[in-house]
Amino acid sequence: MLGLLGVVYAAYLYNSKRLSKTTAIALGVGMLLVFVLPGFHPGEGGRWYDRRFWPIVGNTLTFVGLAVSGVTISAMLLAAVLNRETRAMGVLRTAFFLSQVLSVTVVTLIWSIMFSPRQGLIANVTELFGGSPIVWLTDQNFAMIAIVITTVWWALGIAMILFLAGLQDISRDLYEAGALDRATGLKAFWYITLPNLKRTITLVIVLQIILHFQVFGQSHLITNGGPTDTTQVLVRYIYQTGFRDSDLGRASAMAVFLFVIMGAFSVLQFVLGREES
Amino acid sequence: MLNRGYYWLVLAVSIPAFIWLVPTIWMVSLSFQPNEVLARTTSSTALGLVPYPFTAQNYADLFAFGDTPLWFMNSVIVALGMTFGVLLVSTTAGFALARLDFPFRTPITVFCLIGLMVPEQAVFIPLYTMFADFGWHNSDHALILPRVAVPIGVFLMYQFFKAIPKDIDEAARLDGVGWLQIFWHIMLPLARPAMMTLAILTFLYAWNDYLWPLVSAQKRDFFTITLGLASIQSNFAQSEGLGRVMASGVIASLPVVILFLIFQHYVVQAMTVGGSKG
Repeated sequence: MLGLLGVVYAAYLYNSKRLSKTTAIALGVGMLLVFVLPGFHPGEGGRWYDRRFWPIVGNTLTFVGLAVSGVTISAMLLAAVLNRETRAMGVLRTAFFLSQVLSVTVVTLIWSIMFSPRQGLIANVTELFGGSPIVWLTDQNFAMIAIVITTVWWALGIAMILFLAGLQDISRDLYEAGALDRATGLKAFWYITLPNLKRTITLVIVLQIILHFQVFGQSHLITNGGPTDTTQVLVRYIYQTGFRDSDLGRASAMAVFLFVIMGAFSVLQFVLGREES
Repeated sequence: MLNRGYYWLVLAVSIPAFIWLVPTIWMVSLSFQPNEVLARTTSSTALGLVPYPFTAQNYADLFAFGDTPLWFMNSVIVALGMTFGVLLVSTTAGFALARLDFPFRTPITVFCLIGLMVPEQAVFIPLYTMFADFGWHNSDHALILPRVAVPIGVFLMYQFFKAIPKDIDEAARLDGVGWLQIFWHIMLPLARPAMMTLAILTFLYAWNDYLWPLVSAQKRDFFTITLGLASIQSNFAQSEGLGRVMASGVIASLPVVILFLIFQHYVVQAMTVGGSKG
């Protein structure tokens, strides 16, 4: 962890132009080596080596990456389309936000049956078109995608609202000026909306990272972490280590790991929030 | 602005919006279909999205047997208790930190706000051992107490009270009004919108929380509806029947959905403020 901090610090010094590029890289690598050489590294044989922990961190990161990009992109597009104060748009927003208030167990109840190859709505639709149903939850390639779909369905609302708020801050004049230069529709979105939305995008991404890093219910209730650990995530592993295997010490150590990562993102969120106001 | 393009746009977005609603509609529809039919097929009419053949038997069964009514009441007690507790702690703490002068005020404020960084998932193990030492698990107060002093609540109220001009209470002080009265008669009425947001945020959080009830309530009698639903969904097909489990899901969602539809503005605001912090 300290080694990582060293790397971050070196990157910071480089950005603030206090170090040349080579010195910064040398410093970063040096700091890493200080920890890797005595055996503090997650590779095989290292003191941080753990057969299950790091793959699970990897799964969590995969999940976060997919869920965050899925939510962010779809929420942004929706917000851009729904950004008008009319009745119909209000109703549509409500439709997209509704799933957000449901509890994780209701969400997993709905989706574990949606994905069921025998009873699921998705299987029924595929059969209608003559395809053979995908065994979503027990197929190694699809289980993660299934819980990401569930999560995007669940968590889209807040991101959409944040984007709508961000969009209202963009002055109409910009679009009128753009229209004079024949920038309308997609062009306007690309050249006017996106650049002005940068701050909101960053905020939404950081918020989503914090939120989805804590993922537990989707993995615990839909796939049970399986098949063969492919959807096992950090919080579920902490829970199992602590309460099924009664190894509270090891579970706490992993909880501290989680806390450090999330703490870093919370600080980032705080700083971004400060800039906003 | 309301030209033909606009109507096409509404129509075009209506399709994904409908798809977004389909899973929820499906749950409601399945809950109104007989279990015998569901055991054979879940797509009787219009892919199962229309509840035909129709029955309300699942709901009748739900209230006649099973633990769902008990779990529902547990959730009501826990959610209302937590909401009341959070409002009490957050308004008083927020008021004291924002408007009273006392030693170490700044460090205490900073200390409270640092709590914003700590996720529930990182502290539930020590919390569990602590409550085990007290012998408090499997009770309503074990489900309520850990989340009563929430940093986000204190932070919200602190920010709100901070923004009220100093003149108001200074004028009242000159008239010889005490702090408690200023708090009760001047500050709280002003803070109603903020308290409403906080109350809704807390209620939703308490109703939907899963991890803490999962570790704290091990006896079925103390399950909240959210936890109870998780315990029956793993073996729904064998024991209770799909329709009845779906009916439980509908019942579990009803309070939050009604809350959302009535106080939509506050709910959206609360959830956005809450963001990642519950």
